Amino acid sequence: MTDRSGTLERIGAPVAQPQAPEALASWEKGVLKAFIPWVVVIAIWEIAAANGWSGAVLFPPPSSFLRYALESDFRVGFGGDAMPIPVAIVVSALRVLVGLAIGFAAAIATGILISASGAFADMVMPLVRGLAPIAPIAWIPLGIMLFGIGNPTAIFVVFMGVYFILTISTVAAVNAVDQRLIKTARSYGASRTQVWTRVTFPAVLPQVFTMLRINFFAAWMAVLAAEMVGVKNGLGMMIILGREMFNTKLILLGMCMVGATGYLVDALLVQIQRRILWWQPAP
Amino acid sequence: MTTLSCRHVGKVWPGAGGLSVTALSDVDLTVESGEFVAILGPSGCGKSTLLELIAGLEPLSSGRIAIDGKSVSGPAPGVVMVFQDHSLFPWLSVKDNVGFGLAMKKVPKPERERRVARLLERVRLSKFANHRPHQLSGGMKQRVAIARALVESPEFIMMDEPFAALDFQTRALMQRFLLEVWLEFKPTIIFVTHHIDEAVLLADRVVVMSAGPGRIIEEVRINLPRPRRMTDPGFNDFRARLTETLEREVMRAHVEDELRLVSHAA
Repeated sequence: MTDRSGTLERIGAPVAQPQAPEALASWEKGVLKAFIPWVVVIAIWEIAAANGWSGAVLFPPPSSFLRYALESDFRVGFGGDAMPIPVAIVVSALRVLVGLAIGFAAAIATGILISASGAFADMVMPLVRGLAPIAPIAWIPLGIMLFGIGNPTAIFVVFMGVYFILTISTVAAVNAVDQRLIKTARSYGASRTQVWTRVTFPAVLPQVFTMLRINFFAAWMAVLAAEMVGVKNGLGMMIILGREMFNTKLILLGMCMVGATGYLVDALLVQIQRRILWWQPAP
Repeated sequence: MTTLSCRHVGKVWPGAGGLSVTALSDVDLTVESGEFVAILGPSGCGKSTLLELIAGLEPLSSGRIAIDGKSVSGPAPGVVMVFQDHSLFPWLSVKDNVGFGLAMKKVPKPERERRVARLLERVRLSKFANHRPHQLSGGMKQRVAIARALVESPEFIMMDEPFAALDFQTRALMQRFLLEVWLEFKPTIIFVTHHIDEAVLLADRVVVMSAGPGRIIEEVRINLPRPRRMTDPGFNDFRARLTETLEREVMRAHVEDELRLVSHAA
């Protein structure tokens, strides 16, 4: 009991020191590594097009379709349908994000209610499991019939595409919550409701969010497909417009934007995940 | 004075396919206020189950557990639990982890903050109040868990192998630390361990349990003066006696298992 300070200081040092000094250098290296393959692919593509190799008409290189975007003032379409490219990007990205957000919140709420209800779960889960395998794209015709042509359809498609699978994921995550955390909470006076809201809810968020990220690409494809077949704007419409006009530059420009926007939205989800999963090492 | 009494306590876990497992059978134990009792036993002897029954986290199958004559029927305010893996809530800061119980009981924020700050000061973690558990070392995490228990001013702290996951050095420091706070706050501690040295070093009394079903087979009062060291005269006598009891028990359980296998095979 004599040297208290010694007792405690030796247990003292924190383990995780965020951001070591060389972290930046390795980050730069990572960016460089990611860029090299792109540069190589684009270089081959440009050389092929410049030398008039076959396929140059069907696959105009970036220099060609990006110049096309510049020349057309970043606008595509005619008359009333004409739309600036940045608007198309924002419209498509917002549709998928709104659908994902509503689907995520609803699935967590449903999953927790199902888990909390005990016997009810045995009745509802087969239904959920039966609806989950229906691909987001398969909901498009029904969405158009229900909501007509417009944003609600696109959001509906994303929502249906992720809601059931995330509900299953929530129920699985609830079952996997460390029982000792729940026992600790009860031992410290948490009521049944408090255990759900203060322990189970935060404990399942990371796993369900990871599932959301995995399903983002399917949802993204569904939004584009919806835009191609009916919803009359967004990046999907841009590509289909290119096909209708036999304008391969527009098709490739659209594809390029689809890839870039999807990549950025996924990067945004990773950032959100880091905020939600702040207690875990970065994914 | 608060006395804990367990009378003929039994616990049967329902198993798959109608095979139930008797975890505890006919356990009698009395613990006086302020006492430090270690429960020692081979793995699977139901030590942890007994703690959870006392903490009101699981219902009894038979017998009665009472604190001051009042039967335990659910988690009681004065009884808190500390698990082996510290069980801190990873999404809460150190300070919110320590204040968790007070927040659940709707203790007003100013009072909560005052009590949490005082305890963090006491366990020398004030600087880490806003850190997350994953940023702390194993020993620090366990100190947070102990602070979370002490902030409640509990009468009973149930500790389920709290230092089992720590390395030897940290474990020795944490044992000293636990004795310090025990002498200072004087809660009753029931401490489950499978380390004989740890039990003799810390406890006023060591209770030895048998395996399958868990029963109490021996109680030893450790009347060595404090502070104790493992090199103290007399320490070895207790160690030898408990080792012998425990080894006999482990052998008996082992032989019974073998016999059961043989009879199944026959």
